[in-house]
Amino acid sequence: MTEVAQGQTAGIGEPRRDGRTGRHLPGEGSMWFFVIGDLVIFGAYFVAYMFYRGQHPDLFLQSQARLNQDIGAVNTVMLLTSSLFVALGTSAARSGKVADAVRLFVIALGFGAAFPLLKLFEYVPEVTAGLTPGTNAFFMFYYVMTGLHLCHVLLGLVVLGFVVRELRISPNPRISFVETGATYWHMVDVLWLILFALFYLMR
Amino acid sequence: MNERVEVADNPAAGTSPSWRRHPKLDQWIAFWIVPGFFTLFGIVFVPLSFMMPPRSPGSSTPEIVGFMQSHNLLIACAILTLSFGLAPITNACYVMQVKRMSVSPVFRYTIIVGATTGAIVGMLFPMFCFGLGAFRTGYDPPILAMLFDFGYLAYIGSLGCFCIMWMAFGLAILLDRNNILPKWLGYYTVWQYLTELMAAPVWIATSGPFAWDGLMTFWFAMALYVPWQIIVYLCIYRAIKNQPVHELENAQFVVASSLPATRPTAHA
Repeated sequence: MTEVAQGQTAGIGEPRRDGRTGRHLPGEGSMWFFVIGDLVIFGAYFVAYMFYRGQHPDLFLQSQARLNQDIGAVNTVMLLTSSLFVALGTSAARSGKVADAVRLFVIALGFGAAFPLLKLFEYVPEVTAGLTPGTNAFFMFYYVMTGLHLCHVLLGLVVLGFVVRELRISPNPRISFVETGATYWHMVDVLWLILFALFYLMR
Repeated sequence: MNERVEVADNPAAGTSPSWRRHPKLDQWIAFWIVPGFFTLFGIVFVPLSFMMPPRSPGSSTPEIVGFMQSHNLLIACAILTLSFGLAPITNACYVMQVKRMSVSPVFRYTIIVGATTGAIVGMLFPMFCFGLGAFRTGYDPPILAMLFDFGYLAYIGSLGCFCIMWMAFGLAILLDRNNILPKWLGYYTVWQYLTELMAAPVWIATSGPFAWDGLMTFWFAMALYVPWQIIVYLCIYRAIKNQPVHELENAQFVVASSLPATRPTAHA
């Protein structure tokens, strides 16, 4: 999404803030190392999940039917909307509209913060209904994977907070830092889309 | 670490061999103890006692009794308890470099105390459980089965103790402005400490991918941990090598004229 936003900025002929032309890697290189590695690690976990699912397809399907798909779907919309505002905010920051960028990032932070809250409304009824990690292999995978993703979301909210801080207090905000935060947030989004498809939707 | 020994050696600098006058001798001794320590670990855990890879939590009673009462296990536990003191040197080697970073001292104290608590639960507890099982023949099989569970739960279920420690290490690398260790290593450390969290399901599952010998809890964590440990080690090597002599804590004992031009460094 950041890439698209960059394309738009370049398309309307506005000069980049750092004065360089042509394609470049948005954000810091080390963040891309993290993103690619994180996707590989989650990829391995997803493959393991599919392998064990293949061994007990009925158990996994029956357990999956007990998840709250509605909250899952709303959370997907929350993350996607949040990512949209992050992309718009990055685009605004690149074209020097810092006040707009702050506003857009705060909205993104709001949508992002709704995710853990909704997750709480999902976990608590499940646990009180006796669906705990000890119930069966599906629920163990479900709690571990969504829990790991939730850690990523919480870290992402902290990162977005630092991006807002950078934009607000720094007289000359570092665009690469804003891009780094945006890159991380989009990765959290992508991971959720795969998780949602594998754990809630797949038949 | 060894500054005082180094200090004691320096007055005789004029007559002692050149390697003893090396200003980083203390760090290099600590550094080269690390591979020795890990090699010893590997030999004792795998071919000597077959403690690792972990045995299944669903092992039958005869299997557990056979494992717990073997002589090799007793020898392994004795060697590990003897070499336990090498673990602090390993961590000292890392902490010396963390100390150079432009971050709060809280980070290095967290690493020191985290390593201490982690090593007690994760190394001493299992060594005593396995060693005790092998100490005397004729223990009841149910008692041996319980010691077996205790040993492995302490060994693998305690990885969470290291989580905050490595989190402090990773954050220190990411926040450091002196670039002592590369930033990507900080991110790699983030994965490393997140996989330590996988130790929690070990307390719930007794079979399958989340048991203590499972794919998710043990094998994936190992696949990340082993290369990470080697990479950290190589990065520490570079950090010690690149450390300017004037920055050493024993710098005042090094002949002033041999000091290179100073460069400004941020401090905590």
